[in-house]
Amino acid sequence: MRPFKYTNAKDVPSALKLAAGNPNARFLAGGTNLLDLMKEDVERPDELIDITRLGLTQIKATGSGGISIGGLGRNTDAANHPLVRQHYPLLSQAILAGASGQIRNMATNGGNLLQRTRCPYFYDVAMPCNKREPGSGCGAMEGINRMHAIFGWSEKCIAVFPSDMAVALAALDAVVKITNASGEERVVDFADFHRLPGDMPEKDTNLSHGDLITSIEIPKNNLADHSYYLKVRDRASYAFALVSVAAAFEMKGNLISKVRIAMGGVAHKPWRAMKAEQMLIGKEPTEANFKLAANAEMADAKPLEHNKFKVELGSRSIVRALQMALNGGKS
Amino acid sequence: MKDKNTNVGSPVSRIDGILKVTGKADYSTDHPVKDPAYAVIFKSTIAAGKIRNIDSVAAEKSPGVLAVITHKNAPKLNTKGGIRGGAMLQSADVLFFGQHIGVVVAETFEQARHAADLVKVEYDQKEAKIDFEKLHRNGVKPKDKEDEKRGDVKVALENAAFKVEETYATPIYHHHPLEPHATIAEWQGENLILYNSAQIVNGAQNAAASTLNLKPENVRIVSPYIGGGFGSKGGQWGNLVLAAVAAKMVKRPVKLALARQQMFNSVGLRQRNYQKVSLAATKDGKLTALVHETATHAAIQDEFVEPCGDCSKIMYDTPNSLITYRVTPMNLILPTYTRGPGKSTGSFALESAMDELAYKIKMDPIEFRLKNEPEKDPSNGKPWSSRKVVECLKEGAKAFGWEKRKMEPMQNVQGNYWVGYGVACGTYPAHQRDSSAIIKLNREGSNVTAIIELAAADLGTGTYTILAQTAADALDLPINKITVRIGDSDLPPAAGSVGSVGATSYANVVNDACMKITDELIARSGKQFFARPTAAQLMVSEKIANIQTRADSKPMESAEQYSSHSFNANFAEVWVNQSTGMVRVKRFLAVTGAGKILNPKTARSQIFGGNVWGIGMALTEESVVDPRFGHFVTRSFADYHVPSNLDIGEMEAIFIKEDDKLANKLGIKGLGEVGIVGVSAAVANAVFNATGKRIRELPILPDKLL
Amino acid sequence: MNEDDQSPQLTEDEKKLFEDLMPEDLAEIIDAGVNRRHFLKLMTLTGGGMLAWQSAVAEQVLTRPLAPTPPVTFNPETIENGVNVALKINGAPQKVTVDSRMTLLDTLREKLDLTGSKKGCDHGQCGACTVILDGRRVLSCLTLAASCEGKSVKTIEGIAQGNQLHPVQTAFIKYDGFQCGFCTPGQICSAVALLDEAKNGDASYVTEDLRKKSGPAMLSKEEIRERMSGNICRCGAYPNIVAAIQEVHSGKAVEQNWLLV
Repeated sequence: MRPFKYTNAKDVPSALKLAAGNPNARFLAGGTNLLDLMKEDVERPDELIDITRLGLTQIKATGSGGISIGGLGRNTDAANHPLVRQHYPLLSQAILAGASGQIRNMATNGGNLLQRTRCPYFYDVAMPCNKREPGSGCGAMEGINRMHAIFGWSEKCIAVFPSDMAVALAALDAVVKITNASGEERVVDFADFHRLPGDMPEKDTNLSHGDLITSIEIPKNNLADHSYYLKVRDRASYAFALVSVAAAFEMKGNLISKVRIAMGGVAHKPWRAMKAEQMLIGKEPTEANFKLAANAEMADAKPLEHNKFKVELGSRSIVRALQMALNGGKS
Repeated sequence: MKDKNTNVGSPVSRIDGILKVTGKADYSTDHPVKDPAYAVIFKSTIAAGKIRNIDSVAAEKSPGVLAVITHKNAPKLNTKGGIRGGAMLQSADVLFFGQHIGVVVAETFEQARHAADLVKVEYDQKEAKIDFEKLHRNGVKPKDKEDEKRGDVKVALENAAFKVEETYATPIYHHHPLEPHATIAEWQGENLILYNSAQIVNGAQNAAASTLNLKPENVRIVSPYIGGGFGSKGGQWGNLVLAAVAAKMVKRPVKLALARQQMFNSVGLRQRNYQKVSLAATKDGKLTALVHETATHAAIQDEFVEPCGDCSKIMYDTPNSLITYRVTPMNLILPTYTRGPGKSTGSFALESAMDELAYKIKMDPIEFRLKNEPEKDPSNGKPWSSRKVVECLKEGAKAFGWEKRKMEPMQNVQGNYWVGYGVACGTYPAHQRDSSAIIKLNREGSNVTAIIELAAADLGTGTYTILAQTAADALDLPINKITVRIGDSDLPPAAGSVGSVGATSYANVVNDACMKITDELIARSGKQFFARPTAAQLMVSEKIANIQTRADSKPMESAEQYSSHSFNANFAEVWVNQSTGMVRVKRFLAVTGAGKILNPKTARSQIFGGNVWGIGMALTEESVVDPRFGHFVTRSFADYHVPSNLDIGEMEAIFIKEDDKLANKLGIKGLGEVGIVGVSAAVANAVFNATGKRIRELPILPDKLL
Repeated sequence: MNEDDQSPQLTEDEKKLFEDLMPEDLAEIIDAGVNRRHFLKLMTLTGGGMLAWQSAVAEQVLTRPLAPTPPVTFNPETIENGVNVALKINGAPQKVTVDSRMTLLDTLREKLDLTGSKKGCDHGQCGACTVILDGRRVLSCLTLAASCEGKSVKTIEGIAQGNQLHPVQTAFIKYDGFQCGFCTPGQICSAVALLDEAKNGDASYVTEDLRKKSGPAMLSKEEIRERMSGNICRCGAYPNIVAAIQEVHSGKAVEQNWLLV
């Protein structure tokens, strides 16, 4: 870990000002991923601006019937907030599927969205990695890529985004509220928050230096009765997803009237399964329909040498998550 | 409060428990030491070649740095001194990725870690041998393992009514004790103190002394508490001597702890094995041939081959048998002993094949095993000192509800899960090793207390507790009057806590010491007694304030005439998610015949520990090497999945009573190793019973069951 | 398991046990900090077994400080990016000057002589460094000491109430919830905090109905397993850890069998 200056920001304006003054400064919130990567010498800021004392932790109903979740609130609090549990159980479940109790107590909601990939070639400074060191090559492409992407990857990068929470937020049509270095606020649709790797895998998101996530808003929906977050992993708990699925739908009579499906562990960003969603609208929630939709989505997958299984696993996971959602989350 | 002599066999809670639950047990780097410097190792980033240049200027100039030690300035050490795996900065040669190539010592850990990142190394790279899949076919006979052949397996296989010929693969596994290897090295003049976890206290002392060109009496190993070892802290590795070298060079005590990521290529591993097992049987299920051929890898400079064929030599009665090994030197760190060495991996192959054959014959796998139970050791004709495989299987079947198992797979469906039952047996040799112990008795008034001293190890095995129990019974003192001092090379030399010899060797010598001191007290009294008095009584009646004696115990010569092993039968119930392929072991039962159970509470824990290891082997653990670079892609605890709490379901342990005085005086056979043997096969067999899928390559990750 | 202030009533058997097991240097032990009732409680709670008290062990427990020793005064100029931090550790106010890079874990271990918290991975992947920060379990290896200004840290050294072991500590001994003991401080801190989380009605990934809030959650074994999965135990003491937590959580002893046949 390189030497860095530690600065304690007192309020939002001073945090923004500090960041604006130093292009090599980083905000420090939960620190669960940033410090990990600094110890690995992957992240090399020369200043950390502690933003844990800025507030921005509130969870409250919005005027339009949705919910606003403070960017600096802790994951545990978001998962356990009565409004979230009651109206967005999918989000609770996804948060609780991630990491461990200790880490969820530390990690912030904004920070969760800014996790970097767990690709082992990214983490190991002895290895080539275009994300860590643009132009050095992708170690995983010809290497061991069992954990890697099957959708949306580029020749430059095949990494996947590790968050669970973000997969649920993608399914729930969340928006991210951001204040930039000059104090200007903007709202970004969740689908536009994270990026596909393309030619610039070093850029995970569309944030600029000094941008601060102040809150995440989820619009009102009626998906709570039928939602489920399924996570498939190599051990029962405390492991990153091979594939995960956030699935939720609304019924009108016997038919699906609205459906949201997002996947984790398959791409450089939470992967909205739009094809599957379209195929399910107006259909009965049967296993056969679930399968047709899932297979249609996975037909576009481009697996790599070691992750071909993710195509079949992805398809099965979509079906299973929808079935669980149908049964109100019970098997 | 209790009858006489009932400590042994009672579920006494660990006497060191209070230290462990309050954070007061001192592991290696917990020992208070004045003004330490901190050392961080840096490692090679190629798998084969030579270091052309190390540029350490930036590191040396970095704040707080006291020294950068590389092969260019390291003192000359004895490379044949008994430190495993080399890597002690004695040459520019690089033999594997992640080899130690230098150490930075600084005022603080933060400064040392940062400076280590600043070192720039240039190499002349050579082509490395890394790809086991390609190389294993060219394996050669190991130096110390001849093919072992009985009868004619070829003919038996040709004429078999039923046979199985399959290859079973296990990946590289890592020990990963939760305490990474760590040392505080402190020089006091010519004397060196090493606070360092050691499963073999005297072995660590001798290896460190010999490597550093010191006399053993100038080196002291202090290791009262060990944060797990599982074989990786049996032999000692380069980090131990590098700590001593660093402390010498900066003239201060030095703390050197390996990072978790460094544990993958610093302290050995369990090597990848391809095991071909061929079994032949008659139509009524009598084995006629058993062939177990292991292909594995070792390091370039040194050979270690775990004995995968050991179980196959003794488990079943067959007239024809062949056990072979072929080994390929590779540019990976030297493999070493890992819990249940050879037997845990070997039993996966053998016991999977037995299950496959039983299924072909359409015979219950328990019945099939009972049918092939050997009366004496098939490998050498010796009688068993005790062998309770039949009882293990029968008691286990009863307790587990084996009768509910369906012979055909996919017949037991619970909701979205396939449920399956599996069984597999295991074994591990029982030995006693030379050990010495001093016993000291002290008396104040009528209060007699005892101190037991020996250079034994407790790596969570319960050594402190069982020795207090043993001494309490042998002296007829309450257990709280016994103090146990172990884990220090200044104490009388003792066996290591390795290969399941610890409890046997330690308890026997402590018992001998107690008997000897009682004899000496009787002799000193000059009296004749009708009934043998206890040491405590004699201390009081003869008004002796203190007395001490030393016992040096060896295995009984007669034990050589017998074949002594612990045996078990493992039962697993797995639930396999039909959608995702995720496997949960819902219930696990191990039935063990392992001689005298000194403490059922700690014994049960040890069996559970072995079982959890076996479940990890079967389902979650795997170290993956990138064949292009030779580095571990699974490079942290986030990638190498030790089972988590949720991976483990209901567990139960049953012990079959054994009174085996042929093996050793106290009839102890050891538990630490046998607990893992047969476990992964029981799980894999249960997965087959659940799904109809026979997985011959561990671990059984979800994708293998899609 | 609530503590009451009354002396426990002893059965004759317990009195005998007490006499047999109580060390001779009782007065000294009481002075040094382990009281009679605590000791008795340990013995009676350890169920089928009994807690043997090793004098050398006792000595070590009682002579090592529960609160950190006063930190060495550092000259901030010798520390790169030194940060002055005032915080509470196990109830006692502390002031330390740390290198900005120093984690809370390394500060506890290397500066404050509180070596109970362990470094198993240093990357938030094992849980051995778990401490309770402002009432919540966190990983001290991923917490910068510099960020702890004004916070309150409870480590394994401060889990016992004065000289009384916390019920979770007692249960870990009773149910043999450890072997090597290296993960144990983290397991215990985690378990202690987990009990509060259950009281708050917090959910987990295996909670059946997330929408049903809430009130204190009665945890099944499966819930305890999931909630303790951030603490890796390489020795495999999980079933015993779960039993220990279950007893304290439910107030009822948990069956723990070892059959000898």
